[in-house]
Amino acid sequence: MTTPTETTPGSPAPAEALAGSPAPGGAAAPRPRRAPADLPFTFADGALAEALGAERDEPAWLREDRRAAAEVFARLPVETSELYTSYVDFRAADLFGARPYVRSAAVPAAPGEIPDGADGIIELREDAVVRLALAPGLAERGVTLETLGAALARDAASVREALTATALPADEKLAWLSRGFWSQGVHLHVPAGVRLERPIVLRWAAGVPERALLTRTLIRLDEGAEAALVEELVPSGPPIGCAAGEPVPQSLFGTTTEIDLGPGAVLRFASIQDLPSGTTALQQRTARIGAGATLRFAIAQLGGRVVRSRIDNRLEGDGSEVEQVEIIFGGRDQLFDLTAYTRHVGRDTTGNLLSKAVLQHGARAYIKGLISIERSARGTDSFLGEFGMLLDKQSRSVTVPSLEIDQPDCRRAAHASSVGPIDPAQLFYLESRGITPDEARKFITLGFLEPVVARVPLEAEQERLWELLEAKWADSLGAGAVPAA
Amino acid sequence: MTAPTRGEIVSQEYKYGFHDDVTYLAQTKVGLTRATVEEISAIKDEPEWMLQFRLRAYDHFLRRSMPTWVPESVQGIDFGKIVYYRKPSEREEKSWDDVPEKIKQTFEKLGIPEAERKFLAGVGAQYDSEVVYHSVREELSKIGVVFMGMDQGLREHHDLVKKYFATVVPPEDNKFAALNSAVWSGGSFVYVPKGVEVPLPLQAYFRINGENTGQFERTLIIADEGSKLHYIEGCTAPIYTTDALHAAVVEVIALPGSQVRYTTIQNWSRDVYNLVTKRAHAHARSTVEWVDANTGSRATVKYPAIYLRGEGATAEVISVAFAGHGQHQDTGAKAVHLAPNTRSRIVSKSVSKDGGRGTYRGTLKVAPGATGVVASVRCDALLLDEESRSDTYPYIDIQEDDATMTHEATVGKVSADQVFYLMSRGLTENEATNLIVQGFLEVFTKELPMEYAIEFNRLVKMEMEGSLG
Repeated sequence: MTTPTETTPGSPAPAEALAGSPAPGGAAAPRPRRAPADLPFTFADGALAEALGAERDEPAWLREDRRAAAEVFARLPVETSELYTSYVDFRAADLFGARPYVRSAAVPAAPGEIPDGADGIIELREDAVVRLALAPGLAERGVTLETLGAALARDAASVREALTATALPADEKLAWLSRGFWSQGVHLHVPAGVRLERPIVLRWAAGVPERALLTRTLIRLDEGAEAALVEELVPSGPPIGCAAGEPVPQSLFGTTTEIDLGPGAVLRFASIQDLPSGTTALQQRTARIGAGATLRFAIAQLGGRVVRSRIDNRLEGDGSEVEQVEIIFGGRDQLFDLTAYTRHVGRDTTGNLLSKAVLQHGARAYIKGLISIERSARGTDSFLGEFGMLLDKQSRSVTVPSLEIDQPDCRRAAHASSVGPIDPAQLFYLESRGITPDEARKFITLGFLEPVVARVPLEAEQERLWELLEAKWADSLGAGAVPAA
Repeated sequence: MTAPTRGEIVSQEYKYGFHDDVTYLAQTKVGLTRATVEEISAIKDEPEWMLQFRLRAYDHFLRRSMPTWVPESVQGIDFGKIVYYRKPSEREEKSWDDVPEKIKQTFEKLGIPEAERKFLAGVGAQYDSEVVYHSVREELSKIGVVFMGMDQGLREHHDLVKKYFATVVPPEDNKFAALNSAVWSGGSFVYVPKGVEVPLPLQAYFRINGENTGQFERTLIIADEGSKLHYIEGCTAPIYTTDALHAAVVEVIALPGSQVRYTTIQNWSRDVYNLVTKRAHAHARSTVEWVDANTGSRATVKYPAIYLRGEGATAEVISVAFAGHGQHQDTGAKAVHLAPNTRSRIVSKSVSKDGGRGTYRGTLKVAPGATGVVASVRCDALLLDEESRSDTYPYIDIQEDDATMTHEATVGKVSADQVFYLMSRGLTENEATNLIVQGFLEVFTKELPMEYAIEFNRLVKMEMEGSLG
């Protein structure tokens, strides 16, 4: 990093005169080479925030929130933690032509069908809702599943606090991006004591080329409530064929998931991310976990071009618990940039985080995690595991499992990490049982990723995830690269 | 994190905290300018290339911003208030008898002659900025082992120094390496010829003396093919009323088939900033080991590194840190695998107490082409009370598909069960805790020669008693 106005003592300061007036760039001026941490788009400015508020006729407090968010967004660097500044890379994304959504969201005329085994569904295609249905009786019990637009129209005050007093991390530029410029959103509220027997499906189709879709999702479970959610992030259209050498059409999908769990609440949250290969996904997930509450994340990262995800778990209540299991199956130059912060605040809290990555064909994974145990957090049990498997020489795995411990009175504070090839002993064992080497490699690889499959709360979704993993494996064979033995 | 005040530091009993009034023969003005750098080079009557090297480093030091992640107290160092060069004695002494009485007394207190009598192959003791005493046993001289001050090495082994100097740590590596490169003085130059095994550890004591004296030693160790060497340094410093700065650079070149072990016991007084760049190049089939303990200083920033450049090279780093009141030990290790079938092992242990902060920062990298790598990292931290803090920041970057890497870290407190057990055997609580901490650090202690192990355990005991008594 060079300082533009460096002067040496005794020399005149010509830099002062030149600074602040960058050469005017004509339309034909070539775009300057981007640094890894430069964002690949410029549309997010104060004017867009204002246009969004005006188009949707939002209340003044929300317009003010957008305006303030736009300001913070402009001010912050893309990575504020110095632990991770060397592991940011947006160079593969080019979204300078991408147009954000501004118009109001459409609401479907008919509710549509609920998938088998589920208690409700909200399905969106880009910024439009195409299906919204809740099992009979749930609305009567006070369960709310709606778009943020509908929530604002129904009773703006009901979501005001969730929207403005959010737990989104204040130092995270990309959280402010969604907060300032969201055009669509989902609101799920389960009132105290209500336990949903079956999961709710949140299906979001995205990835129309040259579009930028920014959203917020608010999930609130009051005291003693229980729910399970399956998030499907899928392509909004069939794969776009393009001739060899031509760039894949790109799109942006920036989301938040803001979770608030009251005392004793239990939420299972599964996410299967299978976005198109030209999509840059920016995911912010944050959870405030109350006393005795439990949050279980199961996340599969398969699609996208650049996936930058950050999860913040705040274990605020005494005895609160989080389990987070995340898998990555990366191929074809994908970059997965995943950070997990687990902050222990209350007494006797438990954190159990596991990330596993299989990488091939030039895929990269930056898996960063930080466990913070605050002085108030006596009796903490916290574990962070980051494991990688590289299937070829073009791929790269970076893991940074960090700890910051301020309270020695803990049950456990540990992390572990390992990277290795497919275990030859396991291969030999399977081959000795008559399984072909290719099959054996597939078993071992997919078995490595299995922990997330088992945690997806809907059987149909488990099957779908298996199919996606197998397709990705088949893709590895189709890609023509001969895996090293 | 509040740093200890001056008063607190002085009031603490520091075993080696004596201070002699030595008449300095030459010293530079307070502060660092281009003229300071030129003056140091002129006093030393150095070749032109070294002057140019210093100036290049000086320019880089000015340009390079202070890293923002280092301990806060380090960021506050006023480089303009430090004396960058002092020369306490006119010439290097070959015999102990010729060392000036005043300086000799200082070393008597440090126990150097005794240590030498016992087992040392050679002693290079640095008093402030110049090596004042040096002896290499005759048999080592005969077989061609060179162990002398860096300045003397530059004069007498010019070609060898020119060939290897700053090839492992260039001045542009980091701000503190740039500072050292600009104003370096003293340190050791070691050359072990092909196939020669040095039977006993080479040892050097370093001391800072003189208020506001910066000490910038520069050590270069070259182990030629098939040779074997163990180098030990121990550091103590007197207490002063303003901050002392120690910014050293240590370069080790382990040529094919050689074995180098470098052991450090760092026990600077609690007002010293200890900012050290230690790095080794391990060539084919060589072994490099850093055995590194940090108990003293106000803040230490040091991550001994090994670049495994040749096939079949092995690296080991054993690092322990003890962070007491007002101290921040920001230590760790780096292993960079650049060649096939290389192995590395990193073991780090830290103990924090009385508000001390122990930070592990490490890098493990497997570059493309470095196939068949086996690497492991283990870091454990003990927190002895609620005022203390421990951080672990490991970076693991793997770019080969057949690397086998494992990393484990734990943080905890002294187990109440273990203390109870020991107390049931008749130990007091203090003794029990002390024993457990010594056991925790044993992975380091057992690598030391016996005399050092005893001294180190004594040191740990003193640290422990400071809090528990």
